[in-house]
Amino acid sequence: MADGSVTHLRPGRLSVKLPVFEGPLDLLLYLVEKNELEIYDIPIAAITHQYLEYLQFMEELNLEIAGEFILMAASLIRLKAQLLLPRPELEREAVDPRSELVEALLEYQKYKRASEFLARQEEEERKLATRQDFSFIERKDEMILEKSVNLFDLVAAFQKILGRLPSEGAAYEIDYTQVSLEERAAVIRRLLEQKTEVAFEELFVDLPVRLIMVVTFLAVLELAKRQEIYILQSSPFGPLRVRTGRRFGAAPMEEGNGPAVE
Amino acid sequence: MDQLSNKGSILEALLFAAEEPLPARDILLLGGDFSNEVEIEETVLALNQSYAETGRAFIIRKVAGGYQLATLPEFAPYVSALVSKTRTQKLSRAGLETLSIIAYRQPVSKPVIEKLRGVESSGVLSTLLERKLVAIVGREVGLGRPLLFGTTLGFLSYFGMQDLSALPRPEEVGPVPTAEAASPLGGAGQPAGAP
Repeated sequence: MADGSVTHLRPGRLSVKLPVFEGPLDLLLYLVEKNELEIYDIPIAAITHQYLEYLQFMEELNLEIAGEFILMAASLIRLKAQLLLPRPELEREAVDPRSELVEALLEYQKYKRASEFLARQEEEERKLATRQDFSFIERKDEMILEKSVNLFDLVAAFQKILGRLPSEGAAYEIDYTQVSLEERAAVIRRLLEQKTEVAFEELFVDLPVRLIMVVTFLAVLELAKRQEIYILQSSPFGPLRVRTGRRFGAAPMEEGNGPAVE
Repeated sequence: MDQLSNKGSILEALLFAAEEPLPARDILLLGGDFSNEVEIEETVLALNQSYAETGRAFIIRKVAGGYQLATLPEFAPYVSALVSKTRTQKLSRAGLETLSIIAYRQPVSKPVIEKLRGVESSGVLSTLLERKLVAIVGREVGLGRPLLFGTTLGFLSYFGMQDLSALPRPEEVGPVPTAEAASPLGGAGQPAGAP
């Protein structure tokens, strides 16, 4: 049974509580359990009827119906037709046309139960406090315990910075004629020559323009790839820092090598 | 209260200072005159017994292949306000569902996950990757070479599990991978190198 529910609110209208289903299998399983049906012997006609009723209900509420739900509806109707048609003698012994659906449901049921176990564990874990809960606090000796930064960390950090920009269509316009990756890389190098280590965000503060920031981000990736810079993070989800790398300043990019953006 | 042994005090200090679950082999490397992992386990049991007898608010538990000091659940009302700022949101049902598939079937590809769930799963997968509960552990050898996902040490510690064998009812959910199979997945949240 789906335990989540959504409150569909519209000003001046009825609010309706409706169980939320993760997908067509979740909905089917709910119908099977609600009607106390034997999963190995599902009355396809009845369940199809209820399934379609539910989709109709969603439609009336103007809820968006995912394509997967429609696809399952089509499969159910086809299955229903298959079962209604008389089968030739030879195929009597053949597989139950429902078996594929039954297997999918049983398999789904297993993982759903396992996910309920995980939900309980999560709940229990949230009752405990460990030092891990405070690992975001930066340490002095963090160099020993640096974690490698992956692309998700980088993209997340960059998205956060972009999010702080004033929304598109702000009052001012800037005439950015051309920004090249190499130019932005040079700016980063200059910054690091002075400081050897800077906060990731610092690379983006000089020109808070979306386009330039994107090119700067690409320059960061390029420099990291060339090991001119290292990107560090002392704890999961912690702030990112950039410092001079092993090949810092060793191999400047060729002029016009990077994609120029107009 | 019984005087803690010297070894007990050292172990307590290490666990107090450690941010992440501390594996027995790391404790051996850090010194403290422990001769083997069994001795560490015994010291942990002795410490826990003395905590219980003296009414301490914490316990040493085994999680994600290591030892960790944790407050007892009954203090949740008090400590939760303290840690709530740092806590991430609870996982969605879609997230838990996808995680359980990955936990039992790893290494597993997105097409397989989507077939089992019956729904598109890109969004939920990227959330799990961001939260470092799963990692890319390789590529399938077949058509299209889809990425394979596995759970991380971060997954174990998030759910307070010692290893994957803590997952329930293996006979109902299919064969459970052994702890050995999980260990090459690297440190918490770090994707292991592709095979």
